[in-house]
Amino acid sequence: MLIDKIKQALAPLNLEVADGDYAKTGCHLAVAAPPDQIQGVAQAMLDEGCFLASLTAVDLRESFDLVYHFANFSELCRTVVHVPLGKKKGMPTLSAIYPGADWYEREVFDLFGIHFFGHPNLKRLLLPEDADFHPLLKDFGASESND
Amino acid sequence: MIEYSLEEKTYTLNLGPQHPSTHGVLRVLLEMEGEFITKAEPVIGYGHRGHEHMAENRNYLQFLPNTARVDYLHALAYNQGYCMAVEKLIGLVVPERGEFIRVITAELNRISSHLLWLGAYLLDLGAFTPILYCFDDRENLLDLLDRITGSRLTYCFFRPGGVPQDLDDEFITGTRAFVKRLRTRFKDYDNLVTKNVIFINRTKDVGVITQEQCVKYGLTGPMVRGSGIPYDIRKSEPYSAYPQFDFVIPIGDKGDILDRYVVRVREMEQSLRIIEQALDKLPNGPIMAEKVPKRLKPAEGEVYQAVETARGEFGCYIVSQGDIKPYRIKLRVPSFGNLSILPELAVDTLVADLVAILGSIDVVVPEIDR
Amino acid sequence: METKTGEPLIRFGLLTEALNLARANSLWPLTFGLACCAIEMMAAGMARFDLDRFGAGVFRPSPRQSDLMIVAGTISKKMGPAVVRLYEQMPAPKWVIAMGNCAISGGPFYYPTQYAIIPGADLIIPVDVYIPGCPPRPEAIIESILLLEEKITNRGRLRKFRQDVNR
Repeated sequence: MLIDKIKQALAPLNLEVADGDYAKTGCHLAVAAPPDQIQGVAQAMLDEGCFLASLTAVDLRESFDLVYHFANFSELCRTVVHVPLGKKKGMPTLSAIYPGADWYEREVFDLFGIHFFGHPNLKRLLLPEDADFHPLLKDFGASESND
Repeated sequence: MIEYSLEEKTYTLNLGPQHPSTHGVLRVLLEMEGEFITKAEPVIGYGHRGHEHMAENRNYLQFLPNTARVDYLHALAYNQGYCMAVEKLIGLVVPERGEFIRVITAELNRISSHLLWLGAYLLDLGAFTPILYCFDDRENLLDLLDRITGSRLTYCFFRPGGVPQDLDDEFITGTRAFVKRLRTRFKDYDNLVTKNVIFINRTKDVGVITQEQCVKYGLTGPMVRGSGIPYDIRKSEPYSAYPQFDFVIPIGDKGDILDRYVVRVREMEQSLRIIEQALDKLPNGPIMAEKVPKRLKPAEGEVYQAVETARGEFGCYIVSQGDIKPYRIKLRVPSFGNLSILPELAVDTLVADLVAILGSIDVVVPEIDR
Repeated sequence: METKTGEPLIRFGLLTEALNLARANSLWPLTFGLACCAIEMMAAGMARFDLDRFGAGVFRPSPRQSDLMIVAGTISKKMGPAVVRLYEQMPAPKWVIAMGNCAISGGPFYYPTQYAIIPGADLIIPVDVYIPGCPPRPEAIIESILLLEEKITNRGRLRKFRQDVNR
């Protein structure tokens, strides 16, 4: 079973791995990892043949929570990895392991301001290049006048 | 003083954001050496409308029209993904007739999205006749959907808990007639397009995607099925009423543009099969769950719901903290991952091939920009 | 008739009326679909709701060859300068139709704390005809072309068969 193989692959990293409640949350496996271990997790998932479905961040006012979703083409097993991150800290990049993570990390940098170390091209993706705000932060105030 | 030298240098060409074949406002910066492309970099963001910021300022029901405008061509599948995510958070169960109506309308919408892709793609390649045929079929389909949903393009027909309006007899007879007619039209498309020598020469062995690239870039949808991986969320992670229907997943073998084209045409035929079976087995009963609260206030928690749209996997990730407004909604759209493979596919191709590859990825740019 | 660049240098008299009739019956739109409204614009040009019978079916991809810009979709802040540049590249006489709620006033994407869009095309370019709807039906696009023809020629087409024309 894929879920056991993933648990076995993640065992050497000593992380909190729990079975997710699929009917309520849509994920089979829930992992909590510190920021410096995320590259090990990603390498383990790539070796099992999983692809990175989504990468996003949630602003929890005191800290950030980065959420990585992995899925697999051949067998159904959705894994969610939560990485708590303090404000004004950065994350290592996954673009060397998963080239598709390149744009997701640029989007997170654009909307939240989180830096990714080792990213080849960390520029803004969705907002204009000269914008000076990060819109999805909870303390982003009202916008200025139109135009 | 203009400098020149005898050695070959590259020049930069800008494709877009206003261009007849970029399917929306996409800009691609090309570094060219003569006629061949050495580097291609898509620049996106020209359609950024702030959907995720709006989600934090709207309550759950007010956000429903937004999901239709993310990808307006298969809006009902996005409605379905969002409504299913909210239903999981609240704990609602949709009655069977409601699920069947959802499947019928979503599959009709999938056919209309693929028809538009077919017409627009062939227009990019230079053929003007197929788009007229495709839009004619599409108009018949939109008449059917207009009767019960009320709109032609950006539907907000589903609600958390079911659907608000029931099917009537005219819709059912009209849909059966439409299914019969479209099957005969597929023969016309086959003769006009699939056996056309120019089309085959432009699409065979162009834009090949390997299975390893599918995993590394996180591609989903017809891109993956064209390369030979039978991944379809309706089969591998069944939701709604799909387990009750009998359909196959068409796959290609090489991963070039011709394979992806054939996969999409076959998917339309499979959708017709699903619609016919659903109309035959349509049960009676309520269409909306019984106790849907007037103010949707889900408990604290998070949910990730994935559905299969015409372009790939749409994932709706909702974080709720017990309020009437969501705390965070992330819309995982298939075109975002699908477009990120373009820089790798575009190396050492001609600009005409780039347009063909870009069309076969089937991007909808407002969905990438959200 | 004034062009957008001011008073004309040479007045042609009766020939102006003939020129206006010619301009109104052969508007060449620019393919400028930004978002969802672009699909309805395409549908208006196709076989069922034919725009070609009004002379406006030749969609040109280049702004230098067109005289009508149909702004179909939301203008984001990143796209604003591009819209102005395209408008300036069109040769006079030129007209603009703002199609859809987003181009009129921001549409469903305007709320007080928004940061992403320009709420209305008439904030950056002068607009002649507004089509409300989200998205408007192709019949509404045809009506807008007819209204624009009336604006250009100061006479209407098929006036006694159309309601709500009180001229």
